[in-house]
Amino acid sequence: MLLLLTIGALATPGFLSTPSIVALLTSMSFIGCVAVGMTFITLSGNIMSLCLGVTLSASSLIFISGLAFGIVPALVLAIGFGIAITACQGFLVGYLQANPIIVSISALALMLGTADLITGGQRIYPPGDGLDILTGNLFGVPVEVIFLISSVGIGQVILSYTRFGLRIYMVGTNLNAAQAAGVSIWRTITGSYMLAGLFAAIAGILLSARYGSGDMELGIGYDYDAIAAVLVGGTAIHGGEGSVLRTLLGVAVVSVIQVVLLLHGFSQQMQYLMTGLIVLTVIMLHSMGEEHS
Amino acid sequence: MIFLKMITHESIRPFTVLFGAIVVLGLVDRGNGNFLSVATAFSVLQLFSTLGLVSLALSLSLIVRGFDLSVAGMLSLAGCVAVLTGAEHPWLGLGAGLVLGLVAGILQGLIITQLKIPPLGVTLGGLLTFQGLSYALTEGQTIAYPHYNLALVLTKPIGGFLSYRSIITLGVFLLIFLVMSYTRVGRDVMATGSDQHASRIAGVHTDRILIGVFATAGLLTALAGVLLSYSLAAASPVALSDVLVPAAAAAIIGGVSLGGGKGNPLGVAAGVLTLCILRSGLNAVGTSPFVHEIVTGAVLLLVAILDAPSLPRRLISWRLRARRI
Repeated sequence: MLLLLTIGALATPGFLSTPSIVALLTSMSFIGCVAVGMTFITLSGNIMSLCLGVTLSASSLIFISGLAFGIVPALVLAIGFGIAITACQGFLVGYLQANPIIVSISALALMLGTADLITGGQRIYPPGDGLDILTGNLFGVPVEVIFLISSVGIGQVILSYTRFGLRIYMVGTNLNAAQAAGVSIWRTITGSYMLAGLFAAIAGILLSARYGSGDMELGIGYDYDAIAAVLVGGTAIHGGEGSVLRTLLGVAVVSVIQVVLLLHGFSQQMQYLMTGLIVLTVIMLHSMGEEHS
Repeated sequence: MIFLKMITHESIRPFTVLFGAIVVLGLVDRGNGNFLSVATAFSVLQLFSTLGLVSLALSLSLIVRGFDLSVAGMLSLAGCVAVLTGAEHPWLGLGAGLVLGLVAGILQGLIITQLKIPPLGVTLGGLLTFQGLSYALTEGQTIAYPHYNLALVLTKPIGGFLSYRSIITLGVFLLIFLVMSYTRVGRDVMATGSDQHASRIAGVHTDRILIGVFATAGLLTALAGVLLSYSLAAASPVALSDVLVPAAAAAIIGGVSLGGGKGNPLGVAAGVLTLCILRSGLNAVGTSPFVHEIVTGAVLLLVAILDAPSLPRRLISWRLRARRI
């Protein structure tokens, strides 16, 4: 599958041009950050959150309006907001064992309603410029890509080399066994959700910097793209198995497919269809492989 | 206390919530006649027709422990297909939409049961595929349906608060209720949802049941999509995709348990009605449209907390701690 994709990509004229690679990496970064966050939720056994896209949008609003106080307070506010929102959900899911999907859906509705009530459904713009730091290049690499790489790095280090990471795997594999082993379930799950909020907020900040505005529509569709990337990367949907690096691979696969289709002149609409079919195929292939092994 | 226990009992709770919503909105309205009117009842039932069948489809899949995410995609896809194929003959469009829903549901059911893949993964792929298909078919445009008179017929008030569309929807609810309550198939579905392994040992063809449930879910959603597109005289790949949140909310408020094996079409109907009444009622008493989103979210969050398996245990430990202090 990967081989086919690589051959397909390399055989596409224009794929290896610098602008196309840069565009690919940038778009990967936004989905990537959200997908890294989603990985933690999936790994901890809570399948997926349907509100990371909205968390992203809301963080972008907070970031842009926080710019009035300067860029550092804005960053702190937006990231703090993202973490706080998902921490509440994680607490409900972990402490009371409330259903994760329903909690995320209600958070989605609450945030959409509140944000629209406050902004009146309008897009908001930053008071001045100063966002260039977040959109430029560092050593010839777009800032977004640097953020993606650090997110993946931090995420993978947390998962592989900390006790907390180990606990996430334990809770995701078998909740009762983890509890018997003395793991605090609610702390672990709340922690995973907080990380998801952190990475969604980072994606929100990057997106609002790129578009120069904050908007509740920025994050539409990111939940599905992110969970698609997580699953395509091979993280098990029931939790306990997978990694952030696999998610990065999943993000790469989904994004490369989209770029290749674009370069072959498929319309945006056909791309949606192909993405769906490919996600379905990859999920089926994975599960069949699992069954045989 | 006994009364409290009775009205909060699982099977009664959806109706208690519904009643509560009506009373609260009636009080907010204070007899101005904006809320408790035939016009509100009509608009509630119109909303009910859009949301109800989707929520019912989702509930059936939840009962067998499969969260059918693809309903959101099928709703718009069936609408687009019906409008595209039914330009000459509305019945042809209806048939095409329904067959599509049925086939898509059977395919998803086959993938889930034969390849043993978690339903959420399969239906996520289904959702993306159906959405992609409807974008590809319509090229991302909203398509107008030439038979405006059909829209008028479908949504014409009958007896004040009913319409053909809501009559069809209510009829389907009644049918599913009868099947689920009084037939062997219904019992087998509940058994499969409670414990798939035990049911298989007891002789239930669980694979067939699962395929049947996903096929029915596809069919119901497709029917909702076709009816909606016909009565709007338009189909669009985008506008209909926000249905997942209220549909899931209605199912959960309606007493469908996410652990499977619990739920009843009448409860789901009460759940959908609660949401529709909140929406129309809040409109009727003149609150901002954003408020109903917040109210929906708050109600859903409340039900999620009340339904949480660890809540009783946590409450008891709090009480003990309080006593010790």
